[in-house]
Parts: sequence; C-alpha cells; structure tokens
Amino acid sequence: MNRVWTLVRKDLLETRRDRLSALFIIVMPLAFTTFFGIMFGGGSDRLPLALLDADGGPQAQRLAAALEGSDAVRVVRKGAADFEPWMTDGRAAAGLLIPEGFSAAVEAGEPAELVVVSDPASSGAQAVAAEIRAAAGRLVAADRAARVGVEAAQAAGEDGADPGQDGAAAGQDGQGTGSTEVPEMARAVATRAMEQPAVSLDVVPAGAAAGQIPSGFVLSSPGMMVNFIMFSLMTAGIALITERRNGTLQRLMTTRVRRSELVAGKMAGMFALTFFQQVLLIAVGQLFFGVDYLNDPLALLLMMIALSLVASSLGLLLACVLTSEQALIATVVIVSMGVSALSGAWFPLEITGPAFRSVGHLLPTAWILDGLRGIVVQGYGVADVLPALGVAVAWSAGLFGLAVARFRLT
Amino acid sequence: MSIVEVQGLSKQYDPPKGVLAVDDVSFAIEHGEIFSLLGPNGAGKSTTISMLSCLLRPSDGDALVDGHSVVGEPQAVKSVIGVVPQDIAVYPDMTARENLVFWGRMYGLGGDELKSRVDEVLELISLVDRQKDRIDKFSGGMKRRVNIGVALLHRPKVLYLDEPTVGIDPQSRRAILDGILALRDQGMTVLYTTHYMAEAQELSDRVGIIDHGRMIALGTHAELVRIVGEEARVDITVDKALEGMVERWSGLRGVTRATIEEDHAKLLVGDANEVLPRLFEEAALGGSRITSVNVSEPNLELVFLHLTGRALRE
Amino acid sequence: MSKILAIAWKDLRSTMRNVPALVMMLLAPLALAGLIGFAFGGGDSFQIAATKVVVTSADEWPPGSLPMHGPPALAGETFVAILTSEGLDDVLEVTEVAGAAAARRRVDDGDAAVAVIVPADFTAALYGTEGTTTAVELYVNPSQEFGTAITESVVTQALLDFNGARAAAAVAAAVAGDSAGHEAAVQAAAARFVQDGGVSTALALTDRAPHSPAGEQGEQGSTIGLVLAGMMIFFMFFGASNVARTILTEDHDGTLPRMLTTPTTASTILGGKFTSVFLTVTVQTIVLLVAGRLIFGIDWGGLEVVAVLTLVAAAVASGLGLLVIAVVRTPGQAGAIGAGVYLVLALLGGNFTGTATTSGTYAVVQGFTPNGPLLRAWDEAMRGGSLADVADDLLVPIAFAVVFFAVAVWRFRRRYA
Repeated sequence: MNRVWTLVRKDLLETRRDRLSALFIIVMPLAFTTFFGIMFGGGSDRLPLALLDADGGPQAQRLAAALEGSDAVRVVRKGAADFEPWMTDGRAAAGLLIPEGFSAAVEAGEPAELVVVSDPASSGAQAVAAEIRAAAGRLVAADRAARVGVEAAQAAGEDGADPGQDGAAAGQDGQGTGSTEVPEMARAVATRAMEQPAVSLDVVPAGAAAGQIPSGFVLSSPGMMVNFIMFSLMTAGIALITERRNGTLQRLMTTRVRRSELVAGKMAGMFALTFFQQVLLIAVGQLFFGVDYLNDPLALLLMMIALSLVASSLGLLLACVLTSEQALIATVVIVSMGVSALSGAWFPLEITGPAFRSVGHLLPTAWILDGLRGIVVQGYGVADVLPALGVAVAWSAGLFGLAVARFRLT
Repeated sequence: MSIVEVQGLSKQYDPPKGVLAVDDVSFAIEHGEIFSLLGPNGAGKSTTISMLSCLLRPSDGDALVDGHSVVGEPQAVKSVIGVVPQDIAVYPDMTARENLVFWGRMYGLGGDELKSRVDEVLELISLVDRQKDRIDKFSGGMKRRVNIGVALLHRPKVLYLDEPTVGIDPQSRRAILDGILALRDQGMTVLYTTHYMAEAQELSDRVGIIDHGRMIALGTHAELVRIVGEEARVDITVDKALEGMVERWSGLRGVTRATIEEDHAKLLVGDANEVLPRLFEEAALGGSRITSVNVSEPNLELVFLHLTGRALRE
Repeated sequence: MSKILAIAWKDLRSTMRNVPALVMMLLAPLALAGLIGFAFGGGDSFQIAATKVVVTSADEWPPGSLPMHGPPALAGETFVAILTSEGLDDVLEVTEVAGAAAARRRVDDGDAAVAVIVPADFTAALYGTEGTTTAVELYVNPSQEFGTAITESVVTQALLDFNGARAAAAVAAAVAGDSAGHEAAVQAAAARFVQDGGVSTALALTDRAPHSPAGEQGEQGSTIGLVLAGMMIFFMFFGASNVARTILTEDHDGTLPRMLTTPTTASTILGGKFTSVFLTVTVQTIVLLVAGRLIFGIDWGGLEVVAVLTLVAAAVASGLGLLVIAVVRTPGQAGAIGAGVYLVLALLGGNFTGTATTSGTYAVVQGFTPNGPLLRAWDEAMRGGSLADVADDLLVPIAFAVVFFAVAVWRFRRRYA
C-alpha cells in the first residue's frame, strides 16, 4: 500500500511540474465555467423577442403593449428588412409578425392572423412563442368574450326565450356576427375579467429549489463538469504512455512493485486528479453561481466519487490499450464527446427519442448526471443517488479489470 | 587554401555566466583528408560541428568552408556541406526512396537530376532492393545507411559525421568505416567526431583532441604519439622473486625503466617486440616463471591521459 | 516554392498513413453527427419526444346551488378531457391519476415531467360569484425545460377558454343588467364562447422557423447538416493540430534541425509547415462535405459559397492549430492544451448545440468566437444563401485567422531564429 501511495505521489508531482498542462487542466474548466456562469447564471434573462407590426392598428398596439409589459420577454421592434435576420443571427430568441389586417379581424370577430417565428430546437424560442400565444390569446379572448357576451345579452333581451337555442341558431351562421357593435363598456368588462381571471396558473418546481425555476446555467453546470472531467483523461493518459515509451514503466517492474500495485497506483493518481478538478468546479458553481450542489453534501460526495471512479478507470484502460499519444488523444476526444452526448450533458435527454435515451442510460455518466442534477434541483438525497453509485462502481470494476488484463509495460 | 578553416571559434550558452562549451578552437582541414575531432563526452565536439553546420551561432570567431563564412554566408555553406547527425534523422513512415527524394528537394535538387542522383545514392548505400520499404521496417544498420545517404545527395564537398558509430554492432560499424574510407578515396573531405580512439586512429589523416571546449593537441597520429614518447609499456607478473627479476630486467638493453607496481612489474621499453624474448630469457635464468605479459603500444589514449590526467573514456 | 510544396506534400502523405489521425479527422465527425442524428430521430427535422404528464382533478360541485345553471359536467372533468384528447398526443402523453399527492409523487420519482393539479373549487371559481379565484397547479420537474414549457403553454391555452367563457358571461351580465333574461344571457354567453371554438378560432396562428434571407421560399435548414458542420469545424481544429504538432515532434526527432543544415531557410520551412496544415484541413473538409452529401444527403448550398466557407474554415483551423503549437513546448502539451482550447471554443461557439440559443447574450458571445459565425454562415448556405448573405458572418472568423497566423509566425520566428 505504501508503494501505491509512492507511485501516486510521483504521478501527481510530475503533473504539477508540467506547469502548462497543469494550468490547463485546472484553469481552463474554471475559467470557462466562470465565464459561462457570468453570462447565464443571473437567473432568468428576459428573452429578446423581435416584433414586426405590419398592421399598426389599435389591437396590434395593444398586443405589442401587452408583450412589452411581460416579465418573460424583452420586445425589440424591427422593420421588415431586419426581422428575419435578427432571428437567424440569433439576436432574438423568437419573433412575432403582426400582419396587416390583424386589428380589423379582431374587431370584426374574425380569425386574426399572427405569425410566430421560432426555432423548434431552442427551448428559449419555445418559451417566447408560448408567451406570445398567451398574450395574443388573452387579447383576443377579451375581445371575443365581449362580443359574445353582448350578443348573448341582446339575444336574450330580444325574445326572452331560451337564448341557448337562439345562440346556437345564430352560431350556425358561422362567425357572422360582425355587425354587432361592441360597446366600450363591454370591452372593459371583458378585459378586466381576463386580466383577473377566475382560474390562474401556479407553476411549482419540485424539490428544494426554493420555489424558483433554475437558470439555464444551473441546469447545464453538471453536464459541463462531466464533459471536462472526461476530457482531462487525456493528460493522465499521455503521462502513462510517455512513461511506457521512455522505459521507466518497465524499469518499475524490475523492482519489487507488483503489477496490481502499479496499476492501482496509476488509477489512484487519475482518481485524485479528477476529484480535485470536481472540487474546484463545484466550489465555483456553488459559491459564485448559486448552483446548490451542497444541498446534500453526502449525496454529492458519492456522485463525485462515482464520477472519478468511472473517469479514472476509463483513462487507465485507454492508456493501457493505446500505444501512441495521438491515438490516445483521438480516442479520448471521441469517447468523451460521444459519452457526453449520450449522457445528456449537451442537451437534455428528455428531448431525444426513446431509443437514444435507453442507450444513453446504459452509460454510468448518464446516471451520474441525473444524480447531480437531482441534487441541485430536486433535493435528491443519498438514497436517491445510490443506484447511480451502483452503476458507476459496476462499470469501474469492469473497466479496471480490463485495464489490468491489458496492461503492458512496453 | 584549406577547405575548412576554423578561426578562434567559441560558444558560450547564456552569457555572461553560462557554460563555455567551445573555447577559442582553431584548426584547418585540407582537401580530401579525413579529420577527426576526438574527445570524451561533453568535450564540445557536437557544439563545434553544430556551429560549422550553421545550426548554432558562434559567440566569437568564424569558420570558412570552401571560402564561405558560417557566420555571414550560411546558405552558401549549407550548399557545400553534408551533415550526418548522430541520431537517425529520417522519416520512419516514408520509404527509403521517398526520404531521399524529399531530402534531395531540400538540397535544391529536382527533376531528372534528382531522380538519377537518388538512384546513385541508393546504389552507394546498397539499398536498391529495399528502396520501396518504409524506414520503420529497417534494421538499425540499414537506417544508418539511409541517414548517411541523405547527406550525399547533393554531392557535398565536405561531409560532417557526428559520432556515427555510437551504440551499433561491430559489423555495421565496420561497414560504415569502410564506406567513409571509400568516400575519401573518391576525393571527399570528411570531418568526423568521435570518442573512440581506435576509430580516430584508423580513419584519420589528422586528429584534433578536444577537451572541455579547448583544442589540446592537433596533428597526425605519429605527431601526437610523440608527445608521450615512443616507449611501449610492458606489465609482467611472475610466480616468485618479483623484486629480483625487476632488478635483473632493468639492466637489460632496450629497457628504459623497470619498477614494481603493486603486484607486477612495469617496464618502459623501446621496442616491445625486440625486448620481449630477452625478458623471458632473463626470467628463466633467474628461476622465475612469467605468468602474464601485457604490452601497451603508445596510442592516443595515452596521449589524452598524458595531457589531461584522465582517461579518454571515463 | 517547390520546397514549400515538397514539405506540404510530405506531411499530407504522412497524415494519410496515420490511422489515428484519419479516425479523428474523418471518422469521428461523421460518427458523432450520426449519433446526434440518431438522438433526434434522424434526418432533416427536429423532433422532440412527447412530454409525460399526469393530471388529477379534485374538482367538485360547490355546496348549495350555483347562482346560475351550471355546466352539464364539472369544469374540471372537461379540462382533463381536453388534456387527454387525441389532438395533443404528439406533444403530451397524459395519464390521469387519483389525488394531488400521487400526482406530485410521480413527478418526484421522475415518472412524469409535470403534474397538472386541478383544485377542488375549479368549477366554483368559474361559475360562482365574481371575485372567486383559484389556481391550477403545475408541479414541474425543473430540469425538464422543454416539457415544462410545452405543458405550460397547452394548459394556458385551455385556461384561456375557460376564463374567456367566464368573461363572456360577465359581459352578458353587465349588458343584460337586471333584466329578465339576465340568467339566460349569462349562460348563453358562456356556452356560446366555447361552442364558437374559443380562443383557438379567434386566432389563426402560423408557426414557422426563421427564414434565411434567400427569400420566403428559402429552404429549411437541415438539422443534421448543421450538426455535421459543427462537428466538422471542431475536428478541423484537431486535424490542423495534428499536422502542426509535427513541428514539435520533428524538432524532437532531429529531422527539423537536419532541414536547417540544408540550404533551406527557416522561413521556407515554416512556410512549408503552414501550407501543410492548411492543405490538410482543406482536404479534410472536402472529404467530409462529400461524405455528408453521400451518407446523410446533406445539401450544403451553392458551390461558390461552399468553396469560400471551406477556405475560411481551413484558415481559421490552421491558424489556431499553429498558434497552439507556437505557444507550447512538448507534443504532449500540445495535445492536452489544444484539446482543451478547442473544446471551450466549440462550447462557446455552439458547435455542439447548433443554433439552439437560449438567450441573446449567448448569441453575442457566439458571435465573437472564430467558429460561431462560421456555423451561422453554414446554416445560411444550407438554406440557400448566397455569398453576399454570408459575407458579414465571415468577417470575424477571417479576422481571427489573420491574428492567429500573425502571432504564430512571430513566435516561431523567435524560437527558430
């Protein structure tokens, strides 16, 4: 055991000595996380909405005003020329085009056209689109309610009979109620009724997230961490390959070091490195950007151990099997990217097909990511993350076994 | 005029307090001669050759190669020298032919001239049959041959070889030495660095002995050996009566001196072959049996030892 | 010039014999693009799986009688029926459960993304006296952004109709005043509002994706094309790095110093290396473009746009690859550090997420990376954009390329002076 510890210390010392690489392993993920956090960690951003009002009438103006008063979006008025580019360039999350005739249609009680422009692949765009539909819906609903109410009242007043049938008869003409004059009072009543609706919507996030929908950064922070940890396998792996190439590895085996001690020592070194990285990234996320990793410290610790186990056993296996630095770099890049994508680090698995999701959940990293996100947003505890830990340990054991079997000295 | 004239060349790394690797070295190499720079590891041989290859800028002094200054006209110098580095410097994932073609282009050759020259060099290094094989499939000796062949493509006037036989088997070494002698016979001038005395002795017309960056002796083999004198050394052990025998031997003709050193007798003699029979006779007369005899002719090792107090290969 | 080409050709040939390099440069982007395509059901469009929703209704008839004739069924039941209707099948997968606690537990356990909980006084609020309000609770799994947003949108639309009916009733009540037909008017208004189709018929909403400037008939961008373009640019960084790294390895192996003993100047050697890198990534891009066309059926756009984008991308990748090498000391460092830099740039530039931006800030950041605007340009090209359309997207990448090359040249000059 002593010898293993000696080996680990040597590896860590060598890593520290290679200043430039050490800098990159540590500084770069931190810098990136910090940068990203600054950009997006500030709670909910008001998403920019490009608005092209080709109508200009009073209803269009009311709609625009309603959107401008919204908490969820920030309206940017655009002319015809730069409406589309504003979205293709990504400067607006989504856009609303109010075509000419909108106000007239609303006031006539006819279907009013609106064009909502959004990228189906973007959750931000969908959120803006939803807001547009809600605002437009409220506007039109008020108008429609006013019209219907007035007509119903008039119908009831006219013949005193059951207005239901009458209403139905009138309805059979289609929406030919355009001739009805809707007094301002009616509109006012309808608008007030819509603004203070009988039934509103209460969105309650599950878990310990203090009643707030977490920002995009909070959700993506664990995924980024997994990505970076996988990537850093490269440095540790290269070190092992270099050792093999310059003969020191072989030389170690002429001492009393046993093969298993050597392999364990290598893995322990990689474990320590990745664990340290996680500590840094979590610290930054927790302290500066409100990513509540410390919701359950013990559960968090278990997930960190799980991730480092998986990463180090994988790194070890790759370094044992591959012979050149180039091959290692290529493999690490491809594997870490593939694993990240499949585990939900880049995009949430919820939006992928079921086949992809099942394949993804064969991987330990998907489980670990679920665990980490659960801790941060849903208040997962130790019991909730145990399955993930189990999967991780099983995988690591398998990878480690393979590594020992394939371990080569030259 | 000599084809290579080195004038007071010096190199200090990281001045002003850095290591003075080469300190005011001067020598000249004549047309068609093999000149060896002999010295132990770290003596400054590689640094000197690097400066003469225009890879390193001298801190002081200059050298003229075929009349061109290494400081002022490096491109002209490079056109007339061929450098064979100590470590194999060819591309392992390319074939022998591909390597020669590429390096030929680096030397400014092209077209038909390049093609025919590559064929000639392949013939010279006896690799015509293997020209389409990748270098990483070659044996060590074959790799070295390609390594040398590359430097000959552009018909250089001077060939620099930096310790070309380090760590290779006796057969390959023999082949390389024979090859160099053959080149010299065809009129090539060769600058050869080594720490093997036997090679310097066998190959060179003249030798420069270098130690700690300074040239400590320069001349033909005979001239250098004269520094330590022409006496051979004979070490003899006997079965008994060593002191008596030493006394008897010191009086013999041809024996300059006889002393006791530890458990054997050390004699300095004029001509070992002439004196040895008399030594045996005298031992027989004295009733002793000679159990071992060791004869050391004067050589460069002795010269080096004499000049520096250290062995050449310490 | 011929020496420069000789060096470039040597390196290109070497790369073609280097299996790990080829895997990284060609196989990886295609495989990863395929993987992501598989993630989203493949092909041209972007499909999201239906969100799992549970709904429960505690709605009950209020005590006593309603001030007006109530609806034929509990409003809550109607609401649940709307959610479970077939029309919403491809966006929501709705299951009815009994009780709010059970519903919330489903979300907590991860079996559902959202629980829609209809309160006990749903009908009472809608059909009761003015001023009574209540709320439908959406209990959401906060890490499922899409599902939450979609469900919220659907529920909001449904609620608009209920609230709209109530508003109509209120208007009818106000207009009818104390007249005899008051009650009848109110009921009729509410019924009519819903019968006429509610809010959804009052609006004719068209949803579409943003058009490229190529005109309203511009083609839909290809999702898989954008994914491959992103991967392509990312792996071009590695392709460039592989070749640029030979500057270090050749220095270490002795062939670079040997080159310096031939009558070849350092500038020529450097120029040769630069050309090697540029040539290699250009060839890489062409191979990937062709493969993308053949394997995934991607239409990259007009020939001249594609050619220009290829060259600009090659310039950016080679400049960056050379810069990384110019700064590090050993080939090992080059590998690790380069990979890190490329990953960060790819994440910032949206190489892995395409144009799925989440906010305006991200788009701004993207715009200042060397690769972000390049991706946008590719998007435009695939939608049929012309050279003029992509021109302003190319300014930032070209500027970056120039700076990368300049700094690399400066550092190399110093090192090999």
